[in-house]
Amino acid sequence: MDFDWTDEERAYRARIRDFLRRELPPEWGDIARHGPGSKEQTDFSRTFCPKLAEAGLLVPHWPAEWGGADRPTWEHFILGEEMWASGEPRGAQYMNVNWIGPTLMRYGSDEQKQRYIPPMAKGQAIWCQGFSEPNAGSDLAALRTRAVRDGDDYVINGTKIWTSYAGLAETCFLLARTGGADTGKAGIAIFLVPMDTPGVEVRAIPSLIGHGDIHECFFTDVRVPASSRLGAEGEAWSIIRYSLANERVGIPRYELSARVLEEMVEDLKQQGRFDDPAIQIRAGEAAAACEAARLLTYRVVDQKARGGAPGPEANVARFAVVTADNSVTDFGLDFLPDFFSGLNRPGYLAHHERAIVAGIAAGAAEIQLNLIAHRFLDLPKVAS
Amino acid sequence: MYFEPNEDQATFLSVLDQIASGDGSGWKVPADWSRFHWADELDRTLEDNGFYDCAIEETLGPVTAAAMIHRLARLSVTMEFAASAMLRPFLPPDLPRPIAVIDGDPAAAIRYLPVARSVLSIGEYEVRAAMLDDGDVQPVESLFAYPMGVFSATIGRWQRIDVDPRRVRESWRVAVAAELGGTLLGGRDAVLAHLRERRQFGQALGSFQGLQHRLAASATKIEAAYWLTLKAAQGLEAADSAVALGYVQNAATTVVYDLHQFMGAMGLTLEHPLHRWTYRARLLKSALGGAGENLKLAASRKWRAA
Repeated sequence: MDFDWTDEERAYRARIRDFLRRELPPEWGDIARHGPGSKEQTDFSRTFCPKLAEAGLLVPHWPAEWGGADRPTWEHFILGEEMWASGEPRGAQYMNVNWIGPTLMRYGSDEQKQRYIPPMAKGQAIWCQGFSEPNAGSDLAALRTRAVRDGDDYVINGTKIWTSYAGLAETCFLLARTGGADTGKAGIAIFLVPMDTPGVEVRAIPSLIGHGDIHECFFTDVRVPASSRLGAEGEAWSIIRYSLANERVGIPRYELSARVLEEMVEDLKQQGRFDDPAIQIRAGEAAAACEAARLLTYRVVDQKARGGAPGPEANVARFAVVTADNSVTDFGLDFLPDFFSGLNRPGYLAHHERAIVAGIAAGAAEIQLNLIAHRFLDLPKVAS
Repeated sequence: MYFEPNEDQATFLSVLDQIASGDGSGWKVPADWSRFHWADELDRTLEDNGFYDCAIEETLGPVTAAAMIHRLARLSVTMEFAASAMLRPFLPPDLPRPIAVIDGDPAAAIRYLPVARSVLSIGEYEVRAAMLDDGDVQPVESLFAYPMGVFSATIGRWQRIDVDPRRVRESWRVAVAAELGGTLLGGRDAVLAHLRERRQFGQALGSFQGLQHRLAASATKIEAAYWLTLKAAQGLEAADSAVALGYVQNAATTVVYDLHQFMGAMGLTLEHPLHRWTYRARLLKSALGGAGENLKLAASRKWRAA
């Protein structure tokens, strides 16, 4: 067991930080304030990601065949930590890097790979994921959007909701039902749908978590060629499982939380209040929560780096990440409420907005607890 | 970063597990249902086979010592292993064990004192040790599941040990964190076994979501505590050890409450050994100042506050 970074890993992190110092403009804090799905941040990502790609820092963990450098899992993860902690200048494109690209490499047709992967590797593609629906959130297998085969095409009808990045995305990674209403997980397929296809309509939903981040997407008689289907009909669930296994622990949110906590402590010191034992205890508690989330996450990354199969440890880590984000948010609100009004600390506001998503997006915290109970603690299925 | 044990660590911990869980060993679930059961036979086996020396072995070290403490604390029986394993690099090799540790008020009741053969005092500026004689110690009745005692005579045989007291204290903080983390895990596993078997309202108790979510949240804390402790054991940095102990002490309050709630009336009896874990945890959660003091320490060390 060894909980230290290697010299090579430290140097890699330093290289990324150096790049960020060089390439993020002075007004970056104000841009990041709007949220990863905002027009401001998406526009920024269109110039930033190509620079990252040029520096070999966009998809270093991808195979060389697709523009990567076959770099180790840990470097991919260090990259993710540094990007998220700096406000995620890749915007929506982090999804391409983490799971959409690798999923297409595994399951895509040659045509799909050639069409979609190179723009991702160059930092020129914005995607959204069409998963949740008005009646299928945590219970994703209940989704109702239909894709009906019509000759060489599919015709898609349905509604997706709470879709991040949809307003500016060029392509949607869409889940739709090709089987009957009662086919559950087995009746779902994935479609790669250009968002400018006739019949696709996007409406932004005003939200607490940044401008332009949540949308409702209407698919009305959207006709797409059968070649836009990823994998076979009914294969969606196993493909999604591969995608999640590839990503495993999601966004390293604790890294931003830990850095925001540092800033909060500095503010309290400036105000002469950090000698208060009550504040120190709460700061220590929040720091411990961040460190707990970090180590539980690293444990999962280590499993992946060794080629281990995904296990319930990822659910444990995800729940700890939610706890850490909220611990820092609550610390700030309790002791520095004045900084949550006005724009003198845009980083606090941005962190708060990202943190309240932590327990909702990519599987609610309570779903994680269900999975921990069954898979990690081997408890029986929930009583009816 | 490697979370898996190296080859020597894996062998060491595997043999330890075999010894500690051997069938018919008699120390896993003793039948006398006293508030604690002193596992003399297991303790001698571990000592005779050099297990308490692991922290000074090059390929094992303090991380293995912390993992060993965590494993032994999961047992329902009681031994003195935390100081013996974790503080071994700082102690004279001939200091007899069991070792009682004074890390606060020397006049207070101290765990292990009635069974200890030596005592270690970790002060702010020095570390001292003394061997105990008959008549030095008076056992006291206690709520806690440890043999507790006070000094009945002034000890005049103290010897100063030439070590950095701060480093000894940080090692001790890690040792207590490991012991408390293992204690919570041992109690949790005993309760899980009960929840899988006990049926109410026609269902296994463990199938009710109201219990599952609390157990799952606790599992997250118990897991995190383990890794925070091992990381702290590697560096013995002051901020890390305070984070590890403060975190697990903070978690202990909720975990202990939940475990007793889930055991119901059975957990109030001495017929189920839950009390042997929870009444160790109830002492350890106040060790070295308790969660508040350790989290405050973590913050002040991390951010150089007063």
